[in-house]
Amino acid sequence: MKNLKKSFIAILLLFWCGVAIYGWHLTREDAGSSSLKNVVLGYQAGDEFYISKIRGQFVKKMKAKGYNVKFKEFQNGAAMLQALASGNVDYARVGDTPPVSALAAGTKLTYVAAGGTKAKGSGILIRKNSSIKTLADLKGKKVAYTKGTSSQYMLLRALKVAGLSNDDITWVNLDSDAASVAYSKGKVDAWANWDPSVAQVEITENSKLLVDGTTTKALNRSFIVSPTTYASKNKTLSKLIIKYTEQDMKWANKNHSKLIKKMSADLKLSKKVVRRSVIRRTFSMHAMSKSVVKEEQEIANVFYDNNILTKKIDVSKHVQYLK
Amino acid sequence: MENIETNEKYHFSFKFKNSLPWLIPVFLIVFWQVACNLSWVNETLLPSPIDVVTNGIKLFKNGELQENMSISLYRATAGLLIGGGLGFVLGFINGVSRKARLLFDSTIQMLRNIPHLALIPLIILWLGIGESAKISLVALGCLFPMYINTYHGITSVDPKLIEMGKSYELSKKDLFIKVIFPGALPTILMGVRYALGVMWTTLIVAETISASSGIGYMSTNAEQFMDMKTIVLCILIYALLGKLSDFIAKNLEDIFLEWRAVERRNTDASETSRNK
Repeated sequence: MKNLKKSFIAILLLFWCGVAIYGWHLTREDAGSSSLKNVVLGYQAGDEFYISKIRGQFVKKMKAKGYNVKFKEFQNGAAMLQALASGNVDYARVGDTPPVSALAAGTKLTYVAAGGTKAKGSGILIRKNSSIKTLADLKGKKVAYTKGTSSQYMLLRALKVAGLSNDDITWVNLDSDAASVAYSKGKVDAWANWDPSVAQVEITENSKLLVDGTTTKALNRSFIVSPTTYASKNKTLSKLIIKYTEQDMKWANKNHSKLIKKMSADLKLSKKVVRRSVIRRTFSMHAMSKSVVKEEQEIANVFYDNNILTKKIDVSKHVQYLK
Repeated sequence: MENIETNEKYHFSFKFKNSLPWLIPVFLIVFWQVACNLSWVNETLLPSPIDVVTNGIKLFKNGELQENMSISLYRATAGLLIGGGLGFVLGFINGVSRKARLLFDSTIQMLRNIPHLALIPLIILWLGIGESAKISLVALGCLFPMYINTYHGITSVDPKLIEMGKSYELSKKDLFIKVIFPGALPTILMGVRYALGVMWTTLIVAETISASSGIGYMSTNAEQFMDMKTIVLCILIYALLGKLSDFIAKNLEDIFLEWRAVERRNTDASETSRNK
């Protein structure tokens, strides 16, 4: 009996070690070959880099040019920019708000490229049977948002459009997963958010957007940012990344059904949700332009005026116009 | 005749006792399933156990589940070995030397209570976002329970036993191997058990650092889109892995501390014989 127990435990331990070694082996696999230059791209599920990743062409094209691309997934823009600040990520695909906050916090980053917007999929969610009918009805209501993300800017813009002051609503700062539970339980009346979560909530929670980015002018544009020193040394690489990402974006715009199929399988979201979020946005990736810099400057100004940022930022000083 | 009967009785009660620890979990799961079937709870907020299991089978079939589990197991084990080993060494040094204790102990106590979540930005800045960052976080988590228990185990060995060893003129090395270490072993193994628990809880935090694999990644990724089936599946996996590691630790205790059980049985026997 005793010996049986001993050997059982020994087998269990051996099995444990075997599985752990297998796991170690799995983490080794993606260690790239040494002759190529490593480039680390940070992305979030569902964004432009993500599409390049699941399409698979990007990595091959970059390899042909002598670069070994590694994709690193992040849960939110803030964490990605932390990794960028420490030099662990070379290019980060972020929304329009996190880089402004990061610049104010002293992160040395440069805007390298600008993508499309999610204007139609970003806004303030309400239930279809909600008593809130117009923007003015938000007065006195509880609205969920996430500090430092585009949702904060959306909400500020929406209040401005409605002619309300910031104190007219109760601001409820929640992470997106906590906000999702709070919203579905009815603990908050509205929720400032963006796709694909918006599409999902619209479908599963019988909700709609009270207002979207086309009205509020909080467009929720995508950007690619890079550490300043890295960006100034790697202009050719940046141009390549823009070029190949743009090719993937064109593919994405033309092949909705393939994209939707791939995304819904990979993200484990229903096709209905993915379709809704995909068809209402146009994917693109371009070098920076004066007009998008103006958009970013507007965010920085609004945040400064509302005491969210304590420092005035001149976005144009942190931009690279690659042509 | 009588003898056989008592044996049977013993046998039965033994079996019943064996199933007792599983009574509450099984009851909870059955209750949960029933609650889902009768739609007492909203399925989007809490999927039924059957849904969770079928989801698990689906993920197992496409290979995702095993891959993530083995990667998590690797990170956890590496962290445990490094952190636990370091904790043991530090605990041992501080347990034996008063000077080292004065030098290190209060620093370690200060570091001990820092929440792991608060350390993530520092870990990203110092160690990056690769495997080393995740493993170090787990190692840090495992270090403290091992340290405290080793230290406590060594310092609380009965001084009379040490005295006795000394009077037998045991060398320092022998004194340690024959008296101090066996005396401290029960507490040290307790430390291993605690460390195993901490290992899993730290791992889920560690796997939020730009991970693209592991159980923690699976669950945070699912959280983003409120994929409750996967979230609950991950929670169940953590619970089962936690139970499994505790089971191993407990059995290791039994195996290594066999002498203690023998001793206890002997004292029991002598007591009963005395009572007769």
